[in-house]
Amino acid sequence: MAEVLIKNGVVYDPLNGVKGEKKDICIRDGKVVAEVKNPKVIDAEGRVVMPGGVDIHSHIAGGKVNSGRLFRPEDGRKGLEAKTKVCRMQSGYSVPNTFAIGYRYAKMGYTFVMEAAMPPLAARHTHEEMVDTPILDNAALPLLDNNWMTMEYVNGGDIDLLAAYVAWIMKATKGFGVKIVNPGGTEMWGWGKNCSLNDTVPTFNVTPAEIIKGLGEANEKLEMPHSIHVHTNMLGHPGNFEITKETYDLVKGVNTVKDRQVMHTTHTQFHSYGGTNWGDFESKADEIAGYINQNDHATIDIGSVILGDTTTMTADGPMEYNLYQITGRKWTNHDVELETGSGITPFLYSGKSPVNTIQWAIGVELALLVEDPWKIALTTDHPNAGPFIGYPILISMLMSKKRRDESSADMHKVIYDKALLPSIDREYSLYEIAIITRGMTAKALGLHEHGKGHLGVGADGDVAIYDMSPEETDAGKIQKAFLNTKYTIKGGQIVVKDGEVVATPDGKTYFVTPECDDKLTDEMMVKLKDKFDRYYSVTLNNYPVQDAYVPNPYEIKTQMRG
Amino acid sequence: MQTIKLKLKSEVTSGVAKIPVEVDSLTPDKLFGKTEAEIKAVQVWWGNKEENTGDLFDVSVDGTAGSADDVKIVLDGDLSRVKRIGDGMKAGEIEANGDVDMHCGAMMAGGKITVRGNADCWAGREMHGGDLVIDGDAAANLCAMYRGEMTGMTGGKVTVGGNADECVGQYMGGGEIVIKGNARMLAGLNMHGGKIVIEGDAVMPGADMTSGEITVKGTVQDMMPSFKLEGTESIDGAEYKKYSGDLAMTARKAKGTLYVK
Amino acid sequence: MVEVTDVVCSLCGCVCDDITVEVEDNKVTKVKRGACSVGKSKLMGHNRIKSPAIRVNGELKDCSYDEAIKKAAEILAASRRPLLYGWSSTVCEADKVGVELAEELGAVIDNTASVCHGPSVLAIQDVGLPSCTLGEVKNRADVIIYWGANPAEAHANHMKRYSYVSKGFWTEEGKKAKKLVVVDVRATKTTKMADVFLQIEQGKDYLVLSALRAILYGHADVVPDEVGGVSKKDLLETAEMMKGAKFGATFFGMGVTHTGARQNNIVNAIQMTRAAHTHTKFTITPMRGHYNVAGINQVCTWETGFPFAVDLTRGYAWYNPGELSATDLLIRQECDAALVIASDPGAHFPGESIKHLAKVPVIQIDPFPNPTTEFADVVFPAAVSGVEAEGNVYRMDNIPIRLRKLIDSEYPEDEEILKRILDEVRAIKEKESN
Repeated sequence: MAEVLIKNGVVYDPLNGVKGEKKDICIRDGKVVAEVKNPKVIDAEGRVVMPGGVDIHSHIAGGKVNSGRLFRPEDGRKGLEAKTKVCRMQSGYSVPNTFAIGYRYAKMGYTFVMEAAMPPLAARHTHEEMVDTPILDNAALPLLDNNWMTMEYVNGGDIDLLAAYVAWIMKATKGFGVKIVNPGGTEMWGWGKNCSLNDTVPTFNVTPAEIIKGLGEANEKLEMPHSIHVHTNMLGHPGNFEITKETYDLVKGVNTVKDRQVMHTTHTQFHSYGGTNWGDFESKADEIAGYINQNDHATIDIGSVILGDTTTMTADGPMEYNLYQITGRKWTNHDVELETGSGITPFLYSGKSPVNTIQWAIGVELALLVEDPWKIALTTDHPNAGPFIGYPILISMLMSKKRRDESSADMHKVIYDKALLPSIDREYSLYEIAIITRGMTAKALGLHEHGKGHLGVGADGDVAIYDMSPEETDAGKIQKAFLNTKYTIKGGQIVVKDGEVVATPDGKTYFVTPECDDKLTDEMMVKLKDKFDRYYSVTLNNYPVQDAYVPNPYEIKTQMRG
Repeated sequence: MQTIKLKLKSEVTSGVAKIPVEVDSLTPDKLFGKTEAEIKAVQVWWGNKEENTGDLFDVSVDGTAGSADDVKIVLDGDLSRVKRIGDGMKAGEIEANGDVDMHCGAMMAGGKITVRGNADCWAGREMHGGDLVIDGDAAANLCAMYRGEMTGMTGGKVTVGGNADECVGQYMGGGEIVIKGNARMLAGLNMHGGKIVIEGDAVMPGADMTSGEITVKGTVQDMMPSFKLEGTESIDGAEYKKYSGDLAMTARKAKGTLYVK
Repeated sequence: MVEVTDVVCSLCGCVCDDITVEVEDNKVTKVKRGACSVGKSKLMGHNRIKSPAIRVNGELKDCSYDEAIKKAAEILAASRRPLLYGWSSTVCEADKVGVELAEELGAVIDNTASVCHGPSVLAIQDVGLPSCTLGEVKNRADVIIYWGANPAEAHANHMKRYSYVSKGFWTEEGKKAKKLVVVDVRATKTTKMADVFLQIEQGKDYLVLSALRAILYGHADVVPDEVGGVSKKDLLETAEMMKGAKFGATFFGMGVTHTGARQNNIVNAIQMTRAAHTHTKFTITPMRGHYNVAGINQVCTWETGFPFAVDLTRGYAWYNPGELSATDLLIRQECDAALVIASDPGAHFPGESIKHLAKVPVIQIDPFPNPTTEFADVVFPAAVSGVEAEGNVYRMDNIPIRLRKLIDSEYPEDEEILKRILDEVRAIKEKESN
């Protein structure tokens, strides 16, 4: 395979401590190497060079993403682009088709995206779409928290058996890590209800707090690359910041052998709300950031708002119902037997709305108030707080106080009263941007050990070259540069050049296969078999995802601790 | 004043298959300032191939125009397979002599279209300004929304000389529609603004409406069972029952008004 | 003899996956458990198209696959408005190649949803779909409504496996502890089982649904004494039953999607579910026909952005059922060539559209001969998915399940035939552009 040499770039590679140094990058056979002999030379001419972006949380594939597309032809018609010699057709803005997802991420310099919620029973669907998403490497997090097996084991205190079940689900779904979404609440949504962190889920007699702690412990027993990935209870409710903080405390004592957090909480913007209703609603980003600053066991991603129309979608069924009750717009719900649920409804974030204005501020506030960028990731919880195509806007805001002030002036005046953003002066450096978009995210997912998020020897040859000088301070130019790379290189192949997609190789699917004691597995299987015999609508043998769904596999093996 | 005559060549529609020609590129604002030769070279879609306008139409240009407002396009020939006439037009005038195919006047923002015949489905779809006059009948979804949208027509005026098929003004938010004949089922479905007048009969008018006004001067078949009778009112000397609805959308939202004889 | 368990049925949208069959000498010799009678006959196999063929002077003449592929590609590449139709009785892997072929050709791609649950999709695009998997209904539902559907005859296993007759976690007593409401214009095998049978006048579903919504929202006062042939008393009783449910599940079928207000009936049924949801948990699910009609909608949506009736003329998707659905396109005589796969418009389309289809070149891919074969110009026999070929399908509740291969086939799979046509089309276009 051809060699590539990227010369004269200014490299930001946080996992290797490289802070904007003029440095050559050599790639052979898709991997970063120390030197090359006969390379294709790319002259980066003083431009910004970073590892390929790693998105820690985005809804890009699977049942609810596609339900979002299916029920929003009005969104589909927004992003239409004709096929080219290289690219397939594109559609959509907040719910792009699979091809557009691959191309648009690659144009922003991203090469890995984590699909943040995979219902185990519908895992095949998630994989079918990921395979059809060009360029990007990917993985998916199976939902495990409203699962009857999980709740029964948590209720009995059987953490080893719970770990055996988690291991089985990872293998059966070709999943990557443990996803938790409104634990207990989605099961209660089966009856049209919801619950909070310390409420007891009827029938199963567990609390959401117990579910989170149990899964946290099981996750560390399996030595998973990623920590538990948590969407905490009461998303979007005024005053929920205290529940969020209480959730962090749950796993404070959980030990891990891995060099990472024991809990990642996602789209934290939606969980940093003060007030008691929408009238006295206010930002509590300082409270959340304060907690994260004082503790080392939890990381967050921001889930920052992009103004405009979008499509909200989550396994948090009751939350979507509440949102639809507010807007009266179309609403899809899909409860999944014994496991999880999902809801979808369109939403418009308007700068004229006081509530939306505060939401808009909170995501950026979190990124600015958390002092250590290794604890925070850039996301929009695509497409919930806005589509991923808005990342360059967020980057420009984090890097420019001036841009933030200009934008704030266009928002509802409540921003000067109930939000903190106007009072914050901090500006991100490019090095810090590289941390929150690749270094931190790869490390939090455990993927830095598998060649992602850095450019050290042995890393994947995934590189983004942005068409800007490291000294650039103009927010508009920064935004433009991060929207369309000069080059994106994936596995040593140029996939984007001058903002155009020039090649569309297939991405790999990363999944984890945890091994545990056979006796434990056998005991777990007795209970699981009964679930299939009596309550599932498919058979046990037809449940696991077949190898055919993962044509480009990347398997990570782990072993359960005794 | 400039008149651009476009006559569809008969060979376009004489095959076994009647493949539509899509003429959204031929509006007064888009053709303004072009010479005859340039107009002939404008690309139009005929099936999956783009063709020169001059290859599909006989083109003649008469007079000059100072702005798009002074441009009048006259379409002749068999127009029953000509789609998207005046789609997105902003100014000027189009006269179509015959029955026209779907999406005539869709997304129209200004100017005037006169159809001397019937118009197929989605005429005036998402229209927000201008005048659309259809001498004959209008097929379904007149002035409706595009699939999945929550807003159809928002402005302008549409007059249909004949009858209109189902779902006139679905999700209409503004503007005015007058149907001289009858309207088939569900006129004003999900309407939330604007005004529809049906001079003939209607079937289930006003379903799921949340605002706006519908007047049916003929008889109503299958009156919705979820409207509330508010009293009577006299309009142009005739006595009408005034209903509010649609209560199937909840009382909070049921702000539509339906006048029925 | 080998016994194969967990066999997946490739007949209707139920996609039953707990079937046991016996296989001997590369033949399914017995269906032992799990399948309904119709599913059984599909698994056992029947009359097949024997050979690829091209019509010459009005007669189909056997030929090689190579010859048929060349002919099919020539027809499609020369077409100004090709229609690619069917896709619901094959697997997603073939559907993906179909979308790619449509894109390459600038074709209209449509699937059988446009003549079955297309109206449901349009309704979902209007108001969404509060739904659930079939197992949720089995484990929780205590009030079940079938509206314009007759599962006792059309989806024989539906009630037994998933709804009224099934037993689940909170429904261990089965039908004893459930209520069944059936709404139909006539008495059927299903209505005979109902606790409440609302017999409505043909085409009046919309009015009845609006009346129920008004009642559920507390406005019974405006509802007249009789709506669409149903007494107000029965409507009030039905509304009370819905409000009293712990978990309500509505299923609707073709009886309501294709009569009266069609897609707006479904909008209204979904709106009724939303109204019921203000009192208790309520869900609604379409009774989909073909085993993978949900699947082609899924594939077409994630690849083009839209579920069916997609025009790729301009290289990107323009979606508009009513304009681009196969039947509309044919009645309007728009298309000048067609590829029909795994479906039978010859038997199911209105006469006027068949008349046009018979006039233009038609390519057919199917394991079985059917009325479409009688006018097809190029015919490809294919392996039977779920018997001779594996692949992914989506059940009516959008649960993906992998069909199993039980025996070897002498015929190629749909996916392979389509890929070869696509390659040949590309070769022709390449030659033309040089």
